[in-house]
Parts: sequence; C-alpha cells; structure tokens
Amino acid sequence: MTHKEIEVIVLTVLEDFCNSNKISAEINSHTPLIGGSRILDSMGLVNVIVDIETAFLDKDIEISLTSEAAMSVRISPFRTVGALCNYIAKQLGIEENE
Amino acid sequence: MNKIIIITGSRKGLGYSLCNYFLEQGNIIYGCSRRTTNIQHENYSHFCLDVSDETAVIDMVRQIYKKHKRIDILINNAGAASMNHFLLTPYSTAQKLFNTNFMGTFLMCREVAKYMIRQKEGRIINYSTVAVPLNMQGELVYSSSKAAVEQLTKVLAAEIGESGVTINAVGPTPISTDLIKNVPENKIIELIQHQSIKRIGTFEDVLNVIKFFISPESDFITGQIIYLGGIN
Repeated sequence: MTHKEIEVIVLTVLEDFCNSNKISAEINSHTPLIGGSRILDSMGLVNVIVDIETAFLDKDIEISLTSEAAMSVRISPFRTVGALCNYIAKQLGIEENE
Repeated sequence: MNKIIIITGSRKGLGYSLCNYFLEQGNIIYGCSRRTTNIQHENYSHFCLDVSDETAVIDMVRQIYKKHKRIDILINNAGAASMNHFLLTPYSTAQKLFNTNFMGTFLMCREVAKYMIRQKEGRIINYSTVAVPLNMQGELVYSSSKAAVEQLTKVLAAEIGESGVTINAVGPTPISTDLIKNVPENKIIELIQHQSIKRIGTFEDVLNVIKFFISPESDFITGQIIYLGGIN
C-alpha cells in the first residue's frame, strides 16, 4: 500500500460521511478534524475513525486508530486529514508525507 | 433468532449455560475463555484468550466481523471474584480482578461497539453485582471493579446513545456457580437477607434480564443497571 492509496481511502470515507450527513466542507489534507475549525463533531469524528478502520479491514489491512493524544489540537493524529494519513502510514511502515 | 453473539467467559457457569441457550435458539455464538471448552456445536466457535489481552481481543473481534460483517449482541460475562478483608488483599489480586472484570469489559465493548455503531444497531450486556449497592464488607476489590463496569455502562450508553446501540448491565445476586464457590455459606445467607426476595438466584433469573435487554422492543432502554432479588 502507498501513501496515496491511504489518502484515497481516508478521503473517500470522509466524503461519504459528509455526504450522508449533509456536511458541506472542502476536504483535503489540510482539513481539520478537531479544534475550532473542525468539520465534524466529536461523535462524527468517532464514526469516521471507525469507518476508516473498517475500510482498511475490508482490504485485510489491520490498523488501530486509538490514541492517547486523540483530542490534543497540537499533537493529535486526527488534527488534520493529512496528519491522520501520516498516522496510518506510520502504522503500516510507509514513509510519511511532509 | 440467527444473531451473531459474543459471550465471554463461556467455558463454565452462566456463560456456558447462555451459550447453550442461544445455540438452541438458532444463533451463531462466539465464546472465549482462557481454557478450552467442551461445547460442541456447528454454530459455536471458541477463542482461547484472556479478555484483558488487548491484542487477542482485537484479533477475535476482527475475525468475527470479517466473517459475518456484523455483530449483533455482546455479553460480557467473563468475571473473576475474590472475597477478602481490604487490609489482607494482595495487590496482585486487585490487578487480576480489575483486569478481568473492568479491562476485559472495556476492551470487548470498545472493539465490538465500533462495528455496532457502524451497523447502527447492537446490544451490549455487562455484568455488575448486588455487592455494589450493598457496599458489602469483604467485597471491596470485586465490587469496586464492578462499580467501574457500571460507570462504563452508563457513560458508554451516553456516548453511543444516538447510534442505535444499547448497553445495559445486569446485577445478579449470588448464584450457584464457580464464581462464589469460595465464599463461606454464612456470607451467602447474610447477603440473601438483604434481598427483598430471599432466595439464591438462578441462571433463568439472569437470562430473563438479558432477554429483556436484547429484545427488539428494548431499543429505548440503555445505560441501565438491573439488580436481581429486589436490591437497589
């Protein structure tokens, strides 16, 4: 799996979630998932994280998105879409994007 | 029913009886315990694991989800008990009880709830005990671990309330299982005297509450602790 493929899965899940919940937002690697400008509420974030984990599992790739720093605006792996993709890439031993 | 059901601590006691009951009803059951089981049924699969082993729990739940793409009911039946004066309780005993009773429930709930939230329905049943509201002497560690399970049940119910998943707990009175085999008989009699209905509990008493929690009509019942025998 490549970083690009990770990004495609994450963006697809996010877009599906936003569409089905009537959330209009521009989704790219800079889109914040927590903090003041976030596009999802806390339950929405949990749902998206579960959907992402499951989307990978459906491809027989096991990742775990539990994180002690989940709600930290500074170091959370969920602070932006890009940070989340890097967090997944790191778990899979794939080079992170800057 | 034909539901996908996970029952922890299925090798003996209530878990064993629950497996047999739900198998007879036509469900697909996944059980687990640290040791192997003698349940032989085409719809039963057993995982040998410690419910406080995070990796093993994640692996078990993922295997079940991958096979069925859904999990309908989780019954966190696995439990450990110990009766001792607080000052005589080894730290290792406290750790063991919290690992099995709370951490095991926490891990199972976390992993299973993921898929239940996604499928927008599911039932989780946890186990408390009447020792919690009775503040029983000699049950400090056991009842504290179960009080933690009660709190988990209530907060998790609040966190996932909108998802269609319910989570409740049953608080049994003493029942003749291995869990209380080392509790002196006079202590059991003393405990029963606190109950409004003064008799030892049965498997059917617990099953009745579980059937209530998992029934389709109970989709508005969540975050509740139901004690048996009239304890509150």
